[in-house]
Amino acid sequence: MKNCIKISLIFIFLLFSLAGMTQQQRFPKPEFGNGYSQPTPITPEPRALALEYTDVVVLLVVLSLASWMAIRKRSRRGLLWLSVFSLIYFGFYRNGCICSVGSVQNVALTLFDPGYAISITTLLFFLLPLVFTLYFGRTFCAGACPLGAMQDLLIIKPISLPEWLRKTLGIIPYLYLTLAVLFAATGTDFIICRYDPFVGIFRMDAEFHMVILGIAFLLMGMFVARAYCRFLCPYGVILSWMSRFSKWHLSITPVACIQCKLCSDSCPFDAIDYPTDEKQSKSTKWGVNRFLVYAILIPLWIFIGGFAGSRAHTWISKANPTVYLAELLVSNPEVRNDQKNLDVQAFLSSGKPLETLVKEATVIRRKFYTGSWIAGGFMGLVIGMTLLSQVVYRKKADYQPHKGNCYSCGRCMNFCPVKK
Amino acid sequence: MESDNKLKFSLNIALVSGIFCVTVALLLLLNFMQMSKNKPLESKALTSLVKQLSQEPNSDELKQEIRNFDLLARKAYFNSQWQVKTGGYLLLFGAMVFALSLRVFIGLKSKIGEPDVKDENDMTSRIMTQRWVMITGSVLVVLGLGASFVSVDHLQKYDVNESLAETKNADNQDKVEVIKVGEDPQTVQPEIADSAKNIVAVNAAKTDTATSLANTTPVVAAKITFPGINAIKANVPGFRGPFGNGVYFQKGTPVEWDAASGKNVVWKTPVPKKGYNSPVIWGNKVFLSGADNQSREVYCFDRSSGKVLWKQLVDKIQGTPATAPKVTEDTGFAAPSLTTDGNRVYAMFADGDIICFDMDGNRVWARNLGLPDNHYGHASSLIMYKDKVYIQYDTNKSRKLMAINASTGATVWETVRKGKISWASPILASINGKYQLVLSTDPMVAGYDAESGKELWSVDCMSGEVGPSPASSGGLVFAGNEYAKLVAIDPSKNAKVWESDEFLPEVASPVAANGFLFVATSYGVLACYDAKSGEKYWSKEEGPGYYSSPVIVDNKLYIFDTAGKMRVFEVAKEVKLLGEGNAAEKVTTTPAFADGRMYLRTPKFLYCIGK
Repeated sequence: MKNCIKISLIFIFLLFSLAGMTQQQRFPKPEFGNGYSQPTPITPEPRALALEYTDVVVLLVVLSLASWMAIRKRSRRGLLWLSVFSLIYFGFYRNGCICSVGSVQNVALTLFDPGYAISITTLLFFLLPLVFTLYFGRTFCAGACPLGAMQDLLIIKPISLPEWLRKTLGIIPYLYLTLAVLFAATGTDFIICRYDPFVGIFRMDAEFHMVILGIAFLLMGMFVARAYCRFLCPYGVILSWMSRFSKWHLSITPVACIQCKLCSDSCPFDAIDYPTDEKQSKSTKWGVNRFLVYAILIPLWIFIGGFAGSRAHTWISKANPTVYLAELLVSNPEVRNDQKNLDVQAFLSSGKPLETLVKEATVIRRKFYTGSWIAGGFMGLVIGMTLLSQVVYRKKADYQPHKGNCYSCGRCMNFCPVKK
Repeated sequence: MESDNKLKFSLNIALVSGIFCVTVALLLLLNFMQMSKNKPLESKALTSLVKQLSQEPNSDELKQEIRNFDLLARKAYFNSQWQVKTGGYLLLFGAMVFALSLRVFIGLKSKIGEPDVKDENDMTSRIMTQRWVMITGSVLVVLGLGASFVSVDHLQKYDVNESLAETKNADNQDKVEVIKVGEDPQTVQPEIADSAKNIVAVNAAKTDTATSLANTTPVVAAKITFPGINAIKANVPGFRGPFGNGVYFQKGTPVEWDAASGKNVVWKTPVPKKGYNSPVIWGNKVFLSGADNQSREVYCFDRSSGKVLWKQLVDKIQGTPATAPKVTEDTGFAAPSLTTDGNRVYAMFADGDIICFDMDGNRVWARNLGLPDNHYGHASSLIMYKDKVYIQYDTNKSRKLMAINASTGATVWETVRKGKISWASPILASINGKYQLVLSTDPMVAGYDAESGKELWSVDCMSGEVGPSPASSGGLVFAGNEYAKLVAIDPSKNAKVWESDEFLPEVASPVAANGFLFVATSYGVLACYDAKSGEKYWSKEEGPGYYSSPVIVDNKLYIFDTAGKMRVFEVAKEVKLLGEGNAAEKVTTTPAFADGRMYLRTPKFLYCIGK
């Protein structure tokens, strides 16, 4: 029976492969007699639709296995090997693309640009981890994310960061997410992909500065565990929101916590919440006053953030190539004579009048103005809510993983002496 | 293995792999520095050799030396690339081994010890966090506000008139090179005034899709007569005859001829340069163009004798790319057919050059429209009506339909089109008594107002790389493409009337007349349909395939296959072969007909067939 299944799977795989091979180009590429092979202009090369769906199926299987290993099997070793598989498959084999982290931008673009239609596979890569997180916590980070896996494997001697530093650095992913959505929505750039520090390692073709960045993250990750995931990953922001509401989440102990404290240092990501100190969390007048002040200040933070964002829109919009080119031609007309400026020369040879370019750039800049108001307002909300969360005390009796920050890697489970 | 041994083993592995990583990283760094310092492809020695060659252009030794040096430089470059790539993989492998062995070492060494006493006071920590979050928020606000002070909105300062004044030479006069404005003494007409009004009207309208550019280009008042419909029908003003529709209003053309024996061959004359454009005729003159990657030319032949009346070089045009664009062999540099109004002839080439000569070969104006980003080469033919020359300028970067003032070369309007690049030529279709431009591309067939460029209708029905031009008859528009469909469209209802996918053209355009529609495929099938209902009357498969478009002349359908064999069928419900001819060489162009004679371009010759 097992053999039958194996043979069937091999047959289906071959069928898809052959289908891809038999698709001939209408106008074939020129052939060279000296064995020269044409380099592909796109990395990774586009795949047949069937293979794209295969990627989705692999993701689904990996997510299911990761959730099962984290919640039911409680196997750290299983999660570790699963993440190694994901690193090899989604990282080195698929060259880090398609990736759930970057798919945020495709979703943003499809929401704001009616001319862009997101593919169903990209949408599934965006949604599937979120759905799983809503039920099982961040098992995607534990077993399916190649970026996380690469960093996780290189954790050597993790140090614990003070809470104020973690919280402060924790604002960066929100900022990154906001900018990524703004840039994608205005059709400017996919910055998450452009500045992904690890994708160049997967593809072995990164620019020098990106190689340095990637290596720096990995070296830092030996001591500051999963630095990218904790203090940059924009997808992690959404996963964190979902995970807070997860129905079943990994727990340190399978039954009741015996307060042995053995797990207290087990998490390299500082994602274990300690039991509440009753003395300190006692409601004081000071605490209540602060809560009221912070709550009242939230709309102000939103407004100030929005206003500051709107003031910055001119500067931010210069990242858009159309805006940049239009401004360059308007502010430096002599650049027309610069034969080495390929963008300018390409524009001049296109025959498009400058007036049209300026009009296009103005429309984009207007989008940036609206977007920057929203982005700034959102960042104001993040600051306001982070402050508010610092004066809210929730009673915790046991050592528990923080649902939002826990990557469900399962390290803490090994430290717990309580077994089923 | 015992625990101590494991510990020792993993430490040794970590040490060896660590040293290995450092060594490889140093070598990579060295390679990078060396590459940055001495770029093999920007070698000074090579540059000086190239300079020397310009002084001694005929020195074969120098050429060989440059070739050798160039080969060496390229080898060095690719060798270095290989080193970087291999080094990268080695470093990655080493780093992984190092990290894993170190992990094992630390894992073996570490023990679950006494839990640390939490030394962080929760309240203090929270206060500290609040402070830092507020600082971060404030820094972000300051950065946002600061950005507004350091950045200048240059777009707001943009002044159209000022910019035009500054760039007048660069944008307009340089690009539209008015060499000579031909002025026919007998042709002062009020039509020009009308067209000028139209330009102004278009400017005023400024619809979303049609951007008028008349105000950005110099309008030189040329006073000439543009031909009426009867004159157009009597001549061959462009690709596929009057209105680009493939239907000729001629009679008495022979249905049989033979190039080898000379049967019905009136004359045959060589065409100097290669080109896939088809003959264009006005009066006693036949026009063609030819080009290669070195030069471009326009030819005028005497229709009676085949003698070359004039031949003009297309050069010295502002904006022409320094190097010829890459085109495929089967498209070439001179694929678009010319167009003429009887006063002047207009030609376009793969590099975006468009040029106008008068009937005596005097250059009137020339300009470059910008290098078209076209992976096969620009192939869409020109067409003109009244005072405008129309250009389908679909490229990979942008899609647009342009109207150019025939007298001055200035852009009258351009309409940005949706869809993808196409190679089809525009036709002029009479819809409800008014001529409109019809274009076919992926994903739509669309009609445009010939005066303003405004899109009048559009039906999504095409796909793929569209080469065949549309056809029109009886108020319907027909279009087809391989891997898509053959469709009949009623433009007044903006809807498909019928569609079929049995026989689809790849290169040859369909033709329709007298209630019949003909389609020729690249694999050798000629199919006849009822134009109104789409009912197939007949199909006939013969020969290697059709690239030349079928045309209808005097209720007869003329078609050439790629081997050069001509077949003439009766335009009827039953298949009836009326005659055959043979050019005995490859034919991919479409013949033109005038005064009982047929004019055919083959790769090397221009034939005149008649009695």
